[in-house]
Amino acid sequence: MTAQTVQQGDLVTVIGLEVHVQLETDTKIFCGCATEQTDEPNENVCPVCLGLPGALPVLNEAAVEAAVKIGKAIDADIPEETRFHRKNYYYPDLPKNFQITQYDEPICADGELEVAVEGERRTVAIERAHLEEDPGSLQHVGGGGGIDSAEYTLVDYNRAGTPLMEIVTAPDFRSPAEVRAFLAELEEVLEYLGVFDAERDGSLRIDANLSIIPEEEIDGDDTDEIGMDALEAANRTEVKNISSHKGAEKALAYEETRQKNAIQRGRAVEQETRHWDESRGITVSMRSKEEEKDYRYFEEADLPPLRVSGWKDEISIPELPSARRERFQAEYGLSEEAASKLTSTKQVADFYEDVAGEFDPDLAATWVADNLLGELNYRDMEITDIAGRLEEVSRLVELVAEDEITAKNARETVLRSMLDDGAAPDEIVEQEGLGKTGEDEVQQAVVEAIDENPDAVDDYESGDDGAINFLVGQVMQKTGGSADPGDVNQLLRAELE
Amino acid sequence: MSDDAVSPEEVRHVAGLARVDLDDDEVDRFARQFADILEYFETLDEVPEVDREADLTNVMRPDEERDSLDREAALENASKAEDGYFKGPNVS
Ligand SMILES: [Zn+2]
Repeated sequence: MTAQTVQQGDLVTVIGLEVHVQLETDTKIFCGCATEQTDEPNENVCPVCLGLPGALPVLNEAAVEAAVKIGKAIDADIPEETRFHRKNYYYPDLPKNFQITQYDEPICADGELEVAVEGERRTVAIERAHLEEDPGSLQHVGGGGGIDSAEYTLVDYNRAGTPLMEIVTAPDFRSPAEVRAFLAELEEVLEYLGVFDAERDGSLRIDANLSIIPEEEIDGDDTDEIGMDALEAANRTEVKNISSHKGAEKALAYEETRQKNAIQRGRAVEQETRHWDESRGITVSMRSKEEEKDYRYFEEADLPPLRVSGWKDEISIPELPSARRERFQAEYGLSEEAASKLTSTKQVADFYEDVAGEFDPDLAATWVADNLLGELNYRDMEITDIAGRLEEVSRLVELVAEDEITAKNARETVLRSMLDDGAAPDEIVEQEGLGKTGEDEVQQAVVEAIDENPDAVDDYESGDDGAINFLVGQVMQKTGGSADPGDVNQLLRAELE
Repeated sequence: MSDDAVSPEEVRHVAGLARVDLDDDEVDRFARQFADILEYFETLDEVPEVDREADLTNVMRPDEERDSLDREAALENASKAEDGYFKGPNVS
């Protein structure tokens, strides 16, 4: 079938990913410079990460541990021996003119990650994951700021040498939505492992290969079942510069439509590298770079090989989000939606389990998933922003569990004031007089309401049951909303007997 | 090894990857020099086999911060710098 005769309905999108993840270590992968982000350029640099002649790299143990954890989480093989290579290319973000990476002996091979896409479970094969160093960062200055028109380049090597894990998937994705779901799941897993900080600028960077092939070449979702000839025959584009899972979905949806339109109009899709321009929402063609062979990979003789397959048994990893989601449903009787929310980050899940252990799991779910996350989200905050105040949130749930304040007051007044003013729950309850009103006080308010509203009493006694609601309202007003409306209703009826 | 072990095209390709501009005379000169260098390597074939030292493995350092260079020192050898950055030409 030639491109010209293919109709849009007969086409399938095939996507594979290369995901670059910055590992969360204190120091760089080959030197002791801090990885901390600073506003000042070239502050965290030394002879090693500046590529000065004679400087020797020494591998950071924490980066290897992080790689092994990732390997365990994606159920990959950690080969007996793994080593580093030099990838040669000449660009100012790379002061040595080569990048230390792993070529044909990566630290992780043949893994997989299961992901739910619109309720359906999909297993994405991960071909390999390897360690490498991040390049520095460039600023193109003058001439409007574009790469092509810039007058000159400013180079900052603070980022150079930050440990990266490059995770390469099989071409297992059939839609941009699947890519987004996979990346969200991957981010969750990495955060659970404590090897990744999603909040950090540039901590996740994605290159995606996208091709369009005739539908009959696909029998299932697995790579093996695609006609690999068809995949080879179809021209693919590599889309670079994607920096989030939302960005990935947008960039690939754009690229999918662009390629399908070209095919429908009988035009060939160029095999090329394209750059995702987030602000314009389009991909643009980049001048093609080196071919694989031009990188002239060879062994990095300054770094001896690693033999760390045994670390897989020595290093433990926490329960991963998908397992925890299932356990939350089974153990606490939560809905899938609530379990998903409550396992979205490890901090949220840990906190939920604390609260559920102390009080009722349902009450804890309402408080953590709905109230707390809802109010945090409204304020554009994360649970990590209140990491030191979780005891206070527990205390608030306790006040509700012990019936000392109403759920409504707890949520609408106390929680909001805790987040907005930084006050402690007991303080707020005291200040606002939210302590549930004693029975005597409610009883007194009931008597007063009856005395003060003879018309409503008459209406009630002549059979207008709705009049009781008016009286309940009066009592609630007198007690500042701290009485239980159901109780008030009962008390009024008893008093009017 | 014959004189055409390294062709002028290969020299131009490698020079291009290294962003080095060579004129025709230089290309010829480097082609000859590369051929010579490759020939030197052939000498290694004559080195008798000896027992190797045991291979090093797992040479690593703990994740502990060490002092970085002062920025002034870091930029000292740069031909151009601006506002704490290394400065270079447009690199599209
Ligand atoms: Zn350094």
